[in-house]
Amino acid sequence: MSTSDDQSKESQEVAATEKTDLEPIEPGQSSVGHVVLFFIVGFVASLVLGWVIFPKLLYSTKPQPFNYSHAIHNELVDEGCESCHYFREDGSFSGIPSLESCVECHEEMQGDSEDEAIFMEEYVAKDREIPWHVYSRQPDCVFFSHAAHVKMGKMDCVTCHGHIGESDQLPTYKENRISTYSIDIWGRNISGIKRNSWDRMKMNDCANCHRENGVNQRSVQTRKGGCFVCHN
Amino acid sequence: MKIARRSFLSFLIGGAAGTALTPLPWKLTDDLSIWSQNWPWTPVPPKGAANQVNSVCSLCPGGCGITVRKIDERAVKIEGMDGYPGNDGSLCTLCLAGLQLLYGPSRVQAPMKRVGKRGEGRWQKISWEQALEEVTAKLSDLRAADAPETLVALLGSDRGTVPQLFNRFLTAYGSPNFFRTPSIQDTYELALFLMHGTRSMASFDIENSDFVLSFGSGMIDGWGSSVRMFKAKSKLRDANATVCQIETRLSNTAAKSDKWVSINPGTEAALALGLAHVIIKEARYNQDFITNYTNGFNKFQQLVLEQYSPSNVTMVTGIDPETITSLARSFASARHPLAICGRGQGATPGSLNEFIAVHALNALVGNINQKGGIWAMPEPDYIEWPDVPMDAVAANGMQKGRMDGAGSQNFPHSRYLLNRLPDMIHSGEATIGALMVIGSNPVHTLPDTPKVQTALDKIPYIVSLSSFMDETTQMADIILPNHTNFERYQDVPAPEGLPQPIIGLSQPIVEPQFNTRHAGDIIIQLAQSLGGNVAEALAWGDYETCLQETLGDKWDMLSEQGFWVDESFNIGAWGEAFETDSGKFEFTNAAINRLPLFNPINLDGSSSEYPLVLLPYDSMRISAGHIGNPAFLMKTIEDTVLKGNSGFVEINPQTAASLGLAQGAKAIISTPTGSAEVRVHHFDGIMPGVIAMPRGLGRTAFDKYVAHKGINVNGLIGAVEDPASGLDAAWGTRASLTKA
Amino acid sequence: MKEANKHSEMQKFGMVIDLDKCTGCGACMVACMAENNVPFQEDETDPLLSVKWMRVYKMTNGKPYPETDICYLPRPCQHCEGQHEGHSPCVSVCPATATDYDMATGIVSQIYTRCFGCRYCMAACPYHVRLFNWYDPIWPPGMEKMLNPDISVRMRGIVEKCSFCFHRYQLAKDQAYVEGRREIEEHEYQTACTQACPADAIVFGDLNNPSHLVHQLAQPDLKHHGKPKNPKAFRLLERLGTNPKIYYMSSKKWVRLAGDNYTREELNKKRT
Repeated sequence: MSTSDDQSKESQEVAATEKTDLEPIEPGQSSVGHVVLFFIVGFVASLVLGWVIFPKLLYSTKPQPFNYSHAIHNELVDEGCESCHYFREDGSFSGIPSLESCVECHEEMQGDSEDEAIFMEEYVAKDREIPWHVYSRQPDCVFFSHAAHVKMGKMDCVTCHGHIGESDQLPTYKENRISTYSIDIWGRNISGIKRNSWDRMKMNDCANCHRENGVNQRSVQTRKGGCFVCHN
Repeated sequence: MKIARRSFLSFLIGGAAGTALTPLPWKLTDDLSIWSQNWPWTPVPPKGAANQVNSVCSLCPGGCGITVRKIDERAVKIEGMDGYPGNDGSLCTLCLAGLQLLYGPSRVQAPMKRVGKRGEGRWQKISWEQALEEVTAKLSDLRAADAPETLVALLGSDRGTVPQLFNRFLTAYGSPNFFRTPSIQDTYELALFLMHGTRSMASFDIENSDFVLSFGSGMIDGWGSSVRMFKAKSKLRDANATVCQIETRLSNTAAKSDKWVSINPGTEAALALGLAHVIIKEARYNQDFITNYTNGFNKFQQLVLEQYSPSNVTMVTGIDPETITSLARSFASARHPLAICGRGQGATPGSLNEFIAVHALNALVGNINQKGGIWAMPEPDYIEWPDVPMDAVAANGMQKGRMDGAGSQNFPHSRYLLNRLPDMIHSGEATIGALMVIGSNPVHTLPDTPKVQTALDKIPYIVSLSSFMDETTQMADIILPNHTNFERYQDVPAPEGLPQPIIGLSQPIVEPQFNTRHAGDIIIQLAQSLGGNVAEALAWGDYETCLQETLGDKWDMLSEQGFWVDESFNIGAWGEAFETDSGKFEFTNAAINRLPLFNPINLDGSSSEYPLVLLPYDSMRISAGHIGNPAFLMKTIEDTVLKGNSGFVEINPQTAASLGLAQGAKAIISTPTGSAEVRVHHFDGIMPGVIAMPRGLGRTAFDKYVAHKGINVNGLIGAVEDPASGLDAAWGTRASLTKA
Repeated sequence: MKEANKHSEMQKFGMVIDLDKCTGCGACMVACMAENNVPFQEDETDPLLSVKWMRVYKMTNGKPYPETDICYLPRPCQHCEGQHEGHSPCVSVCPATATDYDMATGIVSQIYTRCFGCRYCMAACPYHVRLFNWYDPIWPPGMEKMLNPDISVRMRGIVEKCSFCFHRYQLAKDQAYVEGRREIEEHEYQTACTQACPADAIVFGDLNNPSHLVHQLAQPDLKHHGKPKNPKAFRLLERLGTNPKIYYMSSKKWVRLAGDNYTREELNKKRT
């Protein structure tokens, strides 16, 4: 015990001497001031670049084909999200509904909104699938089983997708210019800090949740989650 | 303000410190790594709803049931249909890679007209209207010139509604010259006709046999309906049955048999008669069948006892007498013995004598139309169309008889003798005014391909209805592309050799991918535009109507289940199975007064000039039929068969040493038909003095994955006409091999 | 969730290939290529450059005509368990954590996007099952329609290998989940090669499950790293201790002896 105390005392002393060595700054020498100033300028500029300009440059805003109100649809359907985002018999998840499912209700124009008009004219009339930008689109190597999470894990859609189901307006779709995936994968907060479970959709978010819930923690390499759980 | 070096460095350090406190470096690293893992040119297959469609594959005569997995409108995988008679859930290599044909670069995407010289490959896309108009004009001219019989149609098969529509068209038009691709079916049918008196298909109850004696048939190299044969072979193993393969070369079938008997090439018929000798001499034959249901046994007995003693046969076949005797005993003492023949996949019809000799063995042990034996299946008879309305031109044309001599005095019972045509065209004996080809590719598959090609060159007008740019289509003047079998309805009756009367239904699994039409529709439309009795003969609105009408009450079951089986079918008992003049099985046939002798098929060339014998062999990894290998199949070929663009010839190391040819060495192979540069592969499993090359390589058409790779062995082997049938009986050729 | 997960933890998927039945037809290879979006090039005749997850080898007994014999040996990834659990040769050396052994299924995974192509695993694998993707995967125009969306297409510059059609396991699980089941039946998860084999030579299933056919055929001795108790069965290079999960069966002694790299002296001793 005593030895470690001595050591820390010693190091404190060393630090003190170093400080005194640096102390005498002569007021008239502007170069030192410049050095500090430039340090601060560089420091602040890079902070501005990193926090403000970089995110603006990194993402481009892409308009959705037209606005879609989840809220309105949610009121009209019986089975909540699964009315349109349903499971197929083979266990696969339908994801974004195809035009065919939309037309089941929208054979005729429903309401007189501008968005509905675009939908009917551009897509229903021309029998074209709607080229939605998908906020949760993942690379091809990712396998996500909705069945495992929703049916077996009894998880709520909100846990990952947030409250999109109650929204009137689609969020602005921002595409990462480098990776081409949506901003929502990294999260809208550029710092990557997440407040809600649905703020991010990175691999670590999946892995953390799997670890907390003890989902297949049988990997030999990582001693954590197996790779082939979410990849193929 | 002058910026000192120090200040600048300080700015950079400040910048670095600041940057480290922003997300920029971490975020950029992350994004760049994601970017580098997802190159935009790496395809990402779209996801969608999975669904399945059942159909029947007709890429080869196997006729297997398939279940195609689709994602939305895309077909992504072909799998075997569970429960389909024969293939039950499994498939062969070609069909498994079938989607590469459907979506592949060798498709003919629209009707096309030749603009360059023949075979030059310069085409002009034309409309269907123009294409049909041009063909109609040609056909009208031929008819107007009173030469309708010079119209020839060549198809892959003669069974089912599409071939029969073509046949009907020809008849009404006035031409008897309908052809199908030659195969062992020709010889089997002829042998059965002579010995049973019925026009029937040879079928084999292999699964229930306990001793299969195969005279070179590649049971697991693609003989018969290949997938069914694979399954049957495994069943035989599970049941501890014996398979004995008689073959010169250690084929896969020979290697996987319980016993492989090596034999001098081309002498199988002698062995069959030698076995008959032992069986008769030791009275091991089926007394009941021989006494009550056969005719001519005495003559047969006399022949084999006099001429085919084991010691005599040994001299011909190279098999020692003990082996012959013991083989005959085990064959005759098995409960359900079965003898089969037709070499390899059965692409060459073969010698009639040989088939009769082998079939006589089946008769001796009385396994005809019996469990585990050979069945003479009646040909499908569900097509009941009214008589063809004839006019004077048609009647006159039909009277002239077939140009190949089938049905003539020389070959009264043969039906199609395509192999005779090239020579006849060259000698001027046969004149073809126009040729229609569909599902057949003679420029690649017939023996002596150079001669076939020059013969085709003499035909003034060639119409190809192929879905693919194959070797024959390259020679065409006009192409009317058919849908592939994955895009069309078609009945696929009677898979080769299956002892069950079934009809399969090929159904479209995807919409037509290109501007193609159904061959059935094309021939109906041609008939309509020709008018007169031809239009009357094919008076259906379209092919689908014709198909549904023809199938009648079977249609519902077919479209639902994919196949229809005649549940009421019973194979004829001995008392009623034979329709010969005697009403019995004939060992010798009065019609041709012929006994199953061993007449060696004489190969061209002298043994001094060509000291070796070249045998073609078949492989499941090389499609040797009218369709070339898709890219996936090319990946399965071993590098001792094909390396780069060089094809290999198999040779016994001993023979190779005497010729000074090291493994992999380049050599020139010469035969009386042609020569080519090959490389040498030492293989212990081939008889010294014999060399072998695979069928199906050396394509000149299709896509870059298969074209110009290896040598087409058909270009080295000439046809040998069987004097008894007129069919091609060549099993190989003489050859020489010299260092390149 | 933790509780419920335990059931499936001890699965060990493996294969038994009956070499007496295998005909060398190549259907397994083609089925695998079609199922797994395996790329193809104009020239595929160089085995070092040709990507095939399943490869059928042709072996001969080396005897002169007519004593010669051939045997075909289909070789998918052997999914080695290694000496200690999961220390298969490739997993032990991967510096990128791109390949992993999953104790829940016994499958050696390969994460293509994680791999940076150092090919250390290829050097470590004694079975040559790992292949480097030398070329960009290009399908001729229109042919990309046949791509299977259940498995990602691999980019150039990475190592790929057989995954026991793991995506089929995932799909089977999904189906079970929507039907309220946690476990899948033997027939629900079969690899593409098993399904395609026309000779029924390949059997696939859970080696740990006595009701599965693979267990009954191979009779793995669980006390000795799954060594086969069936005298007809053997594993490739058994003495290396890689403990692969592919079992081969042959009634021919020369074939069984060809499964390991015995010295001439050892062979002479074994043959007598």
